Amino acid sequence: MRRLLYIEAYKLFRQSRTFYAVLALLIIESIVLLSAYFQGTEIIDMVLSNLKDSFYFQGNLLNGNLIIYFILNSFWFHVPLLIMIIVSGMLTTEYEEKTVQTVFMQPVVKWKYVLAKYIVASLFASFLVLLLALTSFILSYGLFGKGDLIVYANGLTFFEQTDAFFRLVYAFLFGTLTLIFFSAVSLTLAVVLKETFKTWIVSALFLIVSTLLLKVDLSNEILNHIVFFKLNNTWQYFFNQEIDWGTITVNSLLIGFYTLITILVGLFLFQRKDIG
Amino acid sequence: MISCKHVNKNYATVRALHNVTISCAKGEVFGLVGANGAGKTTLFKILLGLVTADTGEIEISGEGSKKIGGIIEKPALYPFLNAHENVRLFAKMQNADSSSRAIEKSLKQVGLPLNRMDPVRNFSLGMKQRLGIAVALLNNPSCLLLDEPFSGLDPLGIEALKQLISDLVLRSQMTILISSHIIEVLSTICTKLSIIQNGEIVQSDVTSKILEGCTIGYALSGADIQKAAFLKQYKPVFRGDFAHVSASATEISDIIFSLSQQKIGITSCKPIFDLQQLFNPKRN
Repeated sequence: MRRLLYIEAYKLFRQSRTFYAVLALLIIESIVLLSAYFQGTEIIDMVLSNLKDSFYFQGNLLNGNLIIYFILNSFWFHVPLLIMIIVSGMLTTEYEEKTVQTVFMQPVVKWKYVLAKYIVASLFASFLVLLLALTSFILSYGLFGKGDLIVYANGLTFFEQTDAFFRLVYAFLFGTLTLIFFSAVSLTLAVVLKETFKTWIVSALFLIVSTLLLKVDLSNEILNHIVFFKLNNTWQYFFNQEIDWGTITVNSLLIGFYTLITILVGLFLFQRKDIG
Repeated sequence: MISCKHVNKNYATVRALHNVTISCAKGEVFGLVGANGAGKTTLFKILLGLVTADTGEIEISGEGSKKIGGIIEKPALYPFLNAHENVRLFAKMQNADSSSRAIEKSLKQVGLPLNRMDPVRNFSLGMKQRLGIAVALLNNPSCLLLDEPFSGLDPLGIEALKQLISDLVLRSQMTILISSHIIEVLSTICTKLSIIQNGEIVQSDVTSKILEGCTIGYALSGADIQKAAFLKQYKPVFRGDFAHVSASATEISDIIFSLSQQKIGITSCKPIFDLQQLFNPKRN
């Protein structure tokens, strides 16, 4: 299994498209930073225009913590989409270039080969989040300095500088779980669909529908708490005034469960399918 | 040794293979001839374990973890890696020796240059075929399956590949199965042939016998061949220095003998096959 993991990681990082994804991520981050640098103060002034009549704000609200929070919002769509594109390509290109046939003409166990892909895909998603987190903390603090965080979610919430840092770190950590789930979904879709473009379209559709359904009330309290698309915003819970660790833990376990089920379905389907 | 007995495979409404039985002994080069869509690739995929047969028995004898290697249609390799990296990757995958020495030995075995370090996507089809064979031969399988290996190769590439196949059989007594729709090429390297049509084996025998049954004449070439008046009895069609004659295998020996007596040099003599007869032997 270790050999297969090495091989998958080696193939992933020897392909130019992997580096295009990293580059795309850094471009998204740079756009957020540049926009904030040139227009951030105007936006903050606009958002706080009413409050500024009644309150006195001390310090710089356009600071590194706010920028990191902006970048963190790429977890809604941009980062999962990039991950789904790269991860699904780990299998669809093998189908299209027929290297999957060459692989299984060697004494290689089917389920182990695909499991290695799932594990490397999860590690890759984690690596991208780590890269995004590191660069966003370094660049945001470097360019905009530290300060209190102001977040608009069901009203304005303020967090002190040190508190904000930990909340952002936790959000990155728990957001990774959602991204691992999306990477597992895209690989399972690749097992089913085999073709690159079909898998991209269905992956993007899955992502969009999941995000849309997040806001839909299912008229059932239990379903509203356990269906997978209701769990994708768990990282956002760190920006409530009080951190609800109980809900976050349950949600994280449920995301882990859904990821496991998705992987098992993918392994089962791949094991059953003929190659070619 | 490879053998399959009464193999059947259906895809939805399409019958891909029907009651297919073939066998190939150790050190034998076995040819499977069929038109496009006849079922050759499906049979090879089944033998290589990529596709499951609906019914039938498959037996592949050999030692070690890999009994059989092969190439299906075109060699499928990682285009972004070079030849060394491709062989190393596939070697690691199956726990074969992946040292630089072993990789170089594999590449040398198939006649690939060791100094090519550019990605495989730049390789010619002939070189990819050789690299595909190097990958197939990793872990020393006792059988090798090559599906349409000559398709897309130029005459030099075809000759080089034929030589490589002959060397493999001579050196390692390997059992080799080759599928192709080009009977002219298969007839020069295979000891036995099976003809597959619409998923069924329609005839199977030693190569000379199969060819004898479907040869309707010969294409002779040589300067002054038109001067050979006796050829008239064989309904010749002349085109420059070429003559197509309707003759059987025994008659062609007499023709060549008579031509040599008349001091008419023959530069080539190629059989002309009746493909309808080859693929539908029960017709007549």
